[in-house]
Amino acid sequence: MLRKVYFKELKDAFRDQRTLLLTVLIPIIMMTGLVLFYEFTFFSSSEGEEYDLAISEGIGDEERTVFQEHENINLIEFADPVDAVIEGEAQAAVIFEANFFDKLDTHETTEVTIYGDTFSRNSSNLIQEVTLALATFERAVVLERLLAEGIDHEIIVPFTIEQSEISEESMPLNLLAMLVPLMLILAIGIGASPSASDLFAGEKERKTMEALLMTPVKRSTLLIGKWLAITTIGAVIGIITLLVVLLEIQFFTEHLLSAFQETENMFLIFAMIALIAIAYAVFSAAILMLTSIAAKTVKESQSYSTPVMMIAIVPAMLTQTMGVHEFNLFHYSVPILNFFTINKELLLGIINIEHILIVIGTNLLAGIILFAICRMMFMKDKWVMD
Amino acid sequence: MIEVKDVSKRFIDKKRHVTALNHVSFTVEKGQIVGLLGENGAGKTTLLRAIATLLSIDEGNILVDGYDTVKNPEKIKTKMGVLFGGETGLYDRLTARENLKYFAALYGMSKHETKVRIDELSRMFGMRDFLDRKVKGFSKGMRQKLSISRSIIHDPEIILFDEPTTGLDITASNVFRQLVHQLKQQDKTIIFSSHIMEEVSMLCDSVAMIHKGEIVYHGMLEDLYAEEDSRDLNYIFMSKLVRGDGDYAS
Repeated sequence: MLRKVYFKELKDAFRDQRTLLLTVLIPIIMMTGLVLFYEFTFFSSSEGEEYDLAISEGIGDEERTVFQEHENINLIEFADPVDAVIEGEAQAAVIFEANFFDKLDTHETTEVTIYGDTFSRNSSNLIQEVTLALATFERAVVLERLLAEGIDHEIIVPFTIEQSEISEESMPLNLLAMLVPLMLILAIGIGASPSASDLFAGEKERKTMEALLMTPVKRSTLLIGKWLAITTIGAVIGIITLLVVLLEIQFFTEHLLSAFQETENMFLIFAMIALIAIAYAVFSAAILMLTSIAAKTVKESQSYSTPVMMIAIVPAMLTQTMGVHEFNLFHYSVPILNFFTINKELLLGIINIEHILIVIGTNLLAGIILFAICRMMFMKDKWVMD
Repeated sequence: MIEVKDVSKRFIDKKRHVTALNHVSFTVEKGQIVGLLGENGAGKTTLLRAIATLLSIDEGNILVDGYDTVKNPEKIKTKMGVLFGGETGLYDRLTARENLKYFAALYGMSKHETKVRIDELSRMFGMRDFLDRKVKGFSKGMRQKLSISRSIIHDPEIILFDEPTTGLDITASNVFRQLVHQLKQQDKTIIFSSHIMEEVSMLCDSVAMIHKGEIVYHGMLEDLYAEEDSRDLNYIFMSKLVRGDGDYAS
C-alpha cells in the first residue's frame, strides 16, 4: 500500500508544472547565475586592467615619475580631480600638497591625499596601486636620506616578518565551499516546498484528505508515503543541482575549474555531497511536512515554510568566516549548520568518514523526530480536517 | 444498520466551547435512505464525519453493522462510501481513470475488480468520453459524476453524502438523484444531508432533523406527513424547529 501511495504522490507531483519548473529550471538558472557571478566577480583578476587616476592640472614631471613603473595607471589631468572621481571620469584621484618636492628636499613634512570609492572594486584596486607606488617612492626617499647621512639602511629594518599558511583553503575554494551548500540547501527547500504544501494543506483545501482518510489505509502509511515522496523530490532536485554545478564549472569557468582541479578525488567528493544531500532531503521533507500539516491552505503552508528555509543563510555566513580546523562536534551535529561544515570540509578535499556519518546520522535522526511529531499531529482530527 | 447512541461532540473554536452534537441518538435500518435536515452549522457534517470515523466523539457510541467507529474504524471504512460536497475529493492532475484506480487500490481491490468496477461506473454515469482525460478542466457535472464514482468505487453497503448537490446545476443535481434511485434498488443504506426539501421528500424513506446539535425529529417521512397533516416538508421543518427551540424565531 505504501508503494501505491508513494508512486501516486510522485506522479501527481511531477505532473505539477511548478514542481517541474522548480526541479529542473530553477537549479539551472540559479546555479548558472551564481557560478558565473562568482567566476567573473570574485575570481576575475585585476591583472592587465588599466585605471584612470585623476591628477591636478599642471602637475609637474616629478610627481608623474612616482607612477611611471605602474603602466596600468593612466594619469589624467582635471581642474578638480575629486569631482572627476565623483562624476565617474576616473576611478581615484591623487593630490600632492603644493611644493611637495621642494618640501621633501628641505626635509619638511608634506602630504599626499588619495581619493577613491572603496565600495567599488576598480577604485579599490587603483587605490591599492597608488598606495603601493607612493610607498615605494617613500622608501626611496628614506634610503636617499640615510645614505646622505652615511647610515646603513638596514638600521630601519631590525627584523623581517615571514608569514606561513597552514590552511589548505584557497580563496576560490573557500567561496566554492559556501556557494555549493547554500545553493543546494535552497534548491532542495524551494523545490520540495510546493509538493509538500500540496500533499497536506492542498489535500485539506481540495477536500481530498477526507476521501483519503475514509479509505482503510492506516494514517501512518499515508504519512510515510507522502514523506518519502517529498524526500524523493528534494533529493532529485539536490542531485540535479549538483550535476548542474559540476557541468557548469567543467565547461563554463576557468578560475573555479582550476580551484576545483586542485582537489583530489573530486568525483568521490561530489558523490559524498550527493549522499549528504539525500540525508538532508529526508530532514527538510519532515520540516516541510510539519508546516504543511499545521496549515489549512497551500498559501498558509508556504507562508510558514518560506522563513524556515531562509534560516539556512545564518549557518552559511557563520561557516564562511571559520576555518575547517575550528569545527568541532557541535558543528557536525546540528542539522543545516552541519550541511555547511561537512560540505566545506569535503570541498577542501578532506574526506573524514566519521564526520560524514555524524552528519548523515543527525539529519536522519532529526528527520525521524520531526516525523514522529508530524505523526502525532496527523492522528488528530484538528490537524487533518478543515 | 447504523446505530447512533447518545453521541456528543464538543469543539473549542476561537477559545469558545461549542457543542456540535448534544446527546444525539437515532437508528438507520439496512436499505433505508435517510435525509439529514438542518441549517448551516446545525451539526450535520459533524454527525456524518463521526459516523464515517473521521471525527472522534466525546460521549456515546456509534455502531455500523455492529462495529464501533472508535474501536473498529478500518472494518467500517471498507463498508462505507463517503462524499463530502458535490464534486470534491479529486486529484486534478490525474485522469478520471487514474483517480478511480488510486482509490480502488487504497480499498485493496485487485486489478481485475478495479477494471470491472470502473467499466460498470463508467456505463452507469456515462463517463466513457472523459475517463482518460485529466480532471482539471472538467465541468461541475463531470466532476460530480467522478466524485460519486470515486466514493462508491469499492461498492460499499453504506453511503454518506454531505450536501451532495450544493452549488450544482439542475443537470448535475439530477445525476445525483438518479444515482440514489439506482442505489436504492441495490438495497444500499444511505444518509445524505441537505437543505433542499424537494430532494429529501423525493428520495428519502425517513428524515432526521437536527438543530443546534440536537435531533428534533427522527422518523419515517410518511409518518411525519400524517402527523403534521401536511406534505410541505419546508413548512414542517420550520415548525419543528420553532417547537423544538422557543427562541428560534428570534
